[in-house]
Amino acid sequence: MHINIKREIRESSTGKAGIIILVIMIMLALLAPLIAPCNPYHQSPMSLLPPSFSHWLGMNHVGQDIWSRLLYGARTSLMVGFGTGALATLIGTAAGISAALIDGLYERIMMRVIDTLIIIPMIIVVILLSAYIRPGVITLILILSFLSWQGGARVIRAQTLSLKEKGHIAAARTFGASRLYIAWRHIVPDLGPILLVDFIYNVRRAIFLEAGLAFLGISDPNMVSWGTMMRDALSYSYLDAWRWWLIPPGIALSLTIVGLTFIGHAAEPVIEPRFREVGIA
Amino acid sequence: MLEIRDLRVSYGKELVLDGIDLDLKRGEALALVGESGAGKTTLGLSVMRLVEGQIRGNIRFDGIEMLKASEAELERIRWRRIAIAFQNANNVLNPVHSVLDQVTEPIVFHGLMDKYQARGRASTLLGYFGLASDRFNAYPHQLSGGEQQRVLLAMAISNYPELLILDEPLSALDATSRSEVGKLIKMDGDCTKLIATHDLDTASKLADRIAVLYGGKIVEEGQASQVLSRPRHPYTRALIRAYPNMTTVKDLQAIKEGLTRPGSGCPFHPRCTQTIDVCRTLAPETVTISDERKIACHRGGIITRLTTSSISKSFGLIRAVKSASLSIEAGETLALVGQTGSGKTTLARIIMGLCQPDSGTIYLDGAVANYSSKNFYQKVQMIFQNPGQSLSHRLSVLQAVTEPLDIQNIGDRAERRAKAMKVLGEMGLPQEENFLYRYPHHLSGGEMQRVAIARALIQDPVLLIADEPTAFLDASNQARILKQLLNLQEQRGLSMLYITHDIAAARKVSDRIAVMLEGSIIEEGPANEIVTAPHEPYTKRLICSASSLHSSQYSGIEQAPV
Repeated sequence: MHINIKREIRESSTGKAGIIILVIMIMLALLAPLIAPCNPYHQSPMSLLPPSFSHWLGMNHVGQDIWSRLLYGARTSLMVGFGTGALATLIGTAAGISAALIDGLYERIMMRVIDTLIIIPMIIVVILLSAYIRPGVITLILILSFLSWQGGARVIRAQTLSLKEKGHIAAARTFGASRLYIAWRHIVPDLGPILLVDFIYNVRRAIFLEAGLAFLGISDPNMVSWGTMMRDALSYSYLDAWRWWLIPPGIALSLTIVGLTFIGHAAEPVIEPRFREVGIA
Repeated sequence: MLEIRDLRVSYGKELVLDGIDLDLKRGEALALVGESGAGKTTLGLSVMRLVEGQIRGNIRFDGIEMLKASEAELERIRWRRIAIAFQNANNVLNPVHSVLDQVTEPIVFHGLMDKYQARGRASTLLGYFGLASDRFNAYPHQLSGGEQQRVLLAMAISNYPELLILDEPLSALDATSRSEVGKLIKMDGDCTKLIATHDLDTASKLADRIAVLYGGKIVEEGQASQVLSRPRHPYTRALIRAYPNMTTVKDLQAIKEGLTRPGSGCPFHPRCTQTIDVCRTLAPETVTISDERKIACHRGGIITRLTTSSISKSFGLIRAVKSASLSIEAGETLALVGQTGSGKTTLARIIMGLCQPDSGTIYLDGAVANYSSKNFYQKVQMIFQNPGQSLSHRLSVLQAVTEPLDIQNIGDRAERRAKAMKVLGEMGLPQEENFLYRYPHHLSGGEMQRVAIARALIQDPVLLIADEPTAFLDASNQARILKQLLNLQEQRGLSMLYITHDIAAARKVSDRIAVMLEGSIIEEGPANEIVTAPHEPYTKRLICSASSLHSSQYSGIEQAPV
């Protein structure tokens, strides 16, 4: 009767692959200051150098070490990803659960807000906002979070509505439990797997969007980001440099997103047991 | 005829009767009812001034102050105008005279007849009370207890007394002679009777009025049929519940603890389940609550716990509950019986505040129920139908049972644990470490439900809403849980709304039954009346289809004599 999400992910090979990829990415990002040979911001006159022993992936147009920038870029991507994932999931959970538990006017307003956010084309809004604000990491996390919690909130509300009718929650209410207590002690634990899936989805989208915005050149230009790297590399595509300048951040970004997708895919039976492959109990 | 005012009798320091006020009209029969040791016999003897203790107060018999009368006056009254039939004990009759002589003696002594006529009357009386004529000359030790009793009765009425005091007049007789002798006593209608008995059957057969005596005080007084069918004092109800009879259908329940005489306050307070502070310190005044009905209780008798007044609820077009009005008294079980979908659970959920009624009000202890205060949920708890659902699969037994205390923020960890152990014990569950940390899916259905009940009881609620608590259990587990619930009712005065589709189970545990059909309460009354003489065709159908071990037992209820 217990849905064990850890087991669910570990038992699928894609899930395992996803976890391995993600762990490597996280390690690289965390250890960047230790492994990076150079300061990613440090500019040198040695622009557009090809790979060598001292600079594994060569130098970019302003003489910055590409390998170091790749490592620091992982930090930005994952920070924006996990930051947005956490915040958006938090907002979505709070909104979804409260809408389900507090009925009446509050629920109606909350649901209309969610509906409105869902139909607004998020990418355009993000691009417009970013173009004006030129967001750094924190601002970007805030913008992305406030624009991406609504989908999760809808699912969470629907789940909470069905959980709310469960016997043990009715029982807790007959002990005089407040809504906050019920949400925290009974509903959040039961929502656990769904929250995780929602979180992973949000992380994945945020990483993708961060790279996209950087690629379009509308995020903070001082931020070390895979998107910025690809954009810069692209303007030198007439040189050979793209091979070690454009491809590595592209691969890193794809791998991270694929890793997250794998985990998400493995965790999906949790929300929808019909996706489960035959043979897994 | 007989007026007793503020009668106090004490043996040494022990006050046996404490401020008795009683009135008897001519021709009336009053039963003094109470447990052994309540002071019934002393009261009877006091009227004749036969007690050895100190008597204070007033006893006025036909204008004569009995307590001030001289011995000579008393001599004229005793046996002549006031006679007593003692409780049969071997030493009451004189062992050296034949029973006929003994019945003759008081007639001759008071000079009503000569010896010859007196013997004739004595034989008539003995015959009247069903003693075989060949036993008239027997000596007391040759007679059975029942026969001795008949002799004592004959002796008592031999002088046409105006007031007859009967002390356990029928207790030595078997059931058939009891009703026969009872009828004979009753036929003597001119004579005023004061009957002291612990036997409610005797009281109901012989008396017009009943006074319930407890700890030397009259706690309730009223018309016999009224007192027995609708007791108002908790003690009277407890007495009736403990008394095996063919009228009530609920299982027997004892009165908690034993008869004691507390130094202060209401004499019944140590055993009462609705004691409040004032009960411990102040003796209650006797108040008249309706015609001829008097009660001495600070709470005004058995209190009403919960009242639902015309509750209605619709779900879309379905009218789940239609103007349902119920009330549950303290320490009472009300069974709400009806088929699936009749709105029972909806009503329960409305009472618990899990569901908003469209109209109607719920009162708890006389005040409108306030669901936003946690206090309500300390007093009222619910047991759900399916324990597998009502217990969270994430919480261990200990966590589940202490959850209400966590929510209500009562006590610290150790206290919560101690309380949990206590209720688990009360529900007959193990209290070992190993059990406390088990999860619901490690428990059997019966254990789960008992854990759920323990959880509902941990705050000492006064009212329990039990929604089909045994629907998922086998008969043995069901019996066990129902017994445990009744036991709690006996100990704590727990009121229960027992929701079930099973009228056979309802009959065993409830004082009253309410039948629900399509959202309406169609019939409500004492359990025995509903079960034996239902009015509604639907109730009859319910009873006919109830569990029975003989295929034909209830099939003929339409024709069955009532």
